[in-house]
Amino acid sequence: MQTPLRVIVAAQSQTWSGIEQPNEAAGVMADALAGTIAAFTALRGQLAFEDEPSSFEAALQATKEPRP
Amino acid sequence: MNAPAKSSLLHLSLTDAADALKDGSVTAVELTTVALEAFARVDEAINSAIWLEGAAALEAAEALDKKRKSGAVLGPLHGVPMAHKDMYYKAGKLSTCGSAIRKDFRPTYTATVLEKLEEAGSVTLGGLNMAEFAQNPTGHNQHYGHCRNPWHPDYCTGGSSSGSGAAVAARLVYGALGSDTGGSIRLPAAICGVTGIKPTQTRVSRHGVMPLSFSADNVGPLTQTARDAARFLAVIAGHDPKDPTSAREPIPDYEAALTGDVRGMRIGVPTNYFFDAIDPEVQAAFDAAVAVLEARGAVIVPVTIPHMDAVAAYGGIVSRVEGGTIHAQWMRERPQDYAVHLSGRLYPSQGIPGTYYVEAVARRGAILKAVAAEVFGACDAFITPTLRMKVPTLLATDIDAGTTGAIETFQDVSLNTRPINYLGLPSVSIPCGFDSNGLPIGFQIQGRPFAEARVLRIADAYQRDTDWHRRLPRHAS
Repeated sequence: MQTPLRVIVAAQSQTWSGIEQPNEAAGVMADALAGTIAAFTALRGQLAFEDEPSSFEAALQATKEPRP
Repeated sequence: MNAPAKSSLLHLSLTDAADALKDGSVTAVELTTVALEAFARVDEAINSAIWLEGAAALEAAEALDKKRKSGAVLGPLHGVPMAHKDMYYKAGKLSTCGSAIRKDFRPTYTATVLEKLEEAGSVTLGGLNMAEFAQNPTGHNQHYGHCRNPWHPDYCTGGSSSGSGAAVAARLVYGALGSDTGGSIRLPAAICGVTGIKPTQTRVSRHGVMPLSFSADNVGPLTQTARDAARFLAVIAGHDPKDPTSAREPIPDYEAALTGDVRGMRIGVPTNYFFDAIDPEVQAAFDAAVAVLEARGAVIVPVTIPHMDAVAAYGGIVSRVEGGTIHAQWMRERPQDYAVHLSGRLYPSQGIPGTYYVEAVARRGAILKAVAAEVFGACDAFITPTLRMKVPTLLATDIDAGTTGAIETFQDVSLNTRPINYLGLPSVSIPCGFDSNGLPIGFQIQGRPFAEARVLRIADAYQRDTDWHRRLPRHAS
């Protein structure tokens, strides 16, 4: 049986940040990270090793509406 | 202009009120007085304000009237009463951020947007209710009381700019600043039946604004009409040396763009993501809105938004991780001072790997370019429902009360708004009908980066043929 996510998050949060699970809702929301993991799993392979650095601000400028 | 009746002064739009002030048919003191009286009469039912400073507001209004008499007009909002989400810093004034942690917080400096509004002549009445630290989409607040929907107080106002949506809908103020990181302007606008614009990322300064997510926070107005939003946005937009992330893009004349003419404009309706499991009543209202725009001459085109799986996944974690980082110290030291739904939401961000966050941030520009090429190659703007669901009740989304299913419903509220923040696009939500419970329905209009003029033009054109934005809720001035 896999370790429940709330257990993993509790260990990470305590170890890396010194933050304890504050309440049961936090545990439920930690378990819900399963959806995030599934979404990222489905996207694997889309970020390439040699992708050039990009700037979001530059992309905003590059995609703006041409001036009349 | 004939002097409007006192009872209906607050039913004027922001631009009509500003025009009435300009031609002398009303004074700033009169408008401020009726606004404060309306708060006293109406706000018990909707709880839209956290604090009001009536005496200071009247003093400011009096000074503005004197200035006008002497021929000195400050700007396009001279004498217009407003109140703002309680997260805009003004030196020495309370800024609770909707929290217990900052219940006594008085910053030492002033937000650039407040300075701009003051320079334009607006009168500030106080600080409006909001989600704690701007971190919920429903309007719940355990510390200052939930903000309640003016159309029916059992229902959500939407969040996080809950008080801004409720106060404008209830005609207590002509306009209010909100902020939008995942929908926090557009959700209360849609749910309360008003107009709210989230400008392009970087369009408005964030200096002196409580941070939630440096990558996705936006400042923008909630108002009665698109024209009001255009006038308000023109005042606050633009580069600010105190916010080096703010864009140096010129500010067009937004109001001049409101010609009502959308003939030949290509308006996209997505074929993917935004309509998944949509409520049929919301779908019907949206379809009717599409028909209005089509009748005005817009060309409706189906568009597929590329990379929506990535946009949804990435958009879901950027603000969570950034918010979790900002709040880490308080989460260590005083987690009990947060509401359950907020500490519960902040906590799991500590378990999201840094590699996920970097992936989400690193791909943002490339995804925007792909979306722009594919979508804005086929259309000039695209529209979607602001929410897929009917307005939920406060109880149905009350995580702190332990309501079954509340966490899921709570998260679903922002499904259609959050992706737009990841893409950084300008987006305006306007009312387009009511559901069978009598609560408003809204739709949102997106354009290319910095195309605020275009999305406001479409919104204004729609509002010329509809009156949803003019209707008054049960609790109104």
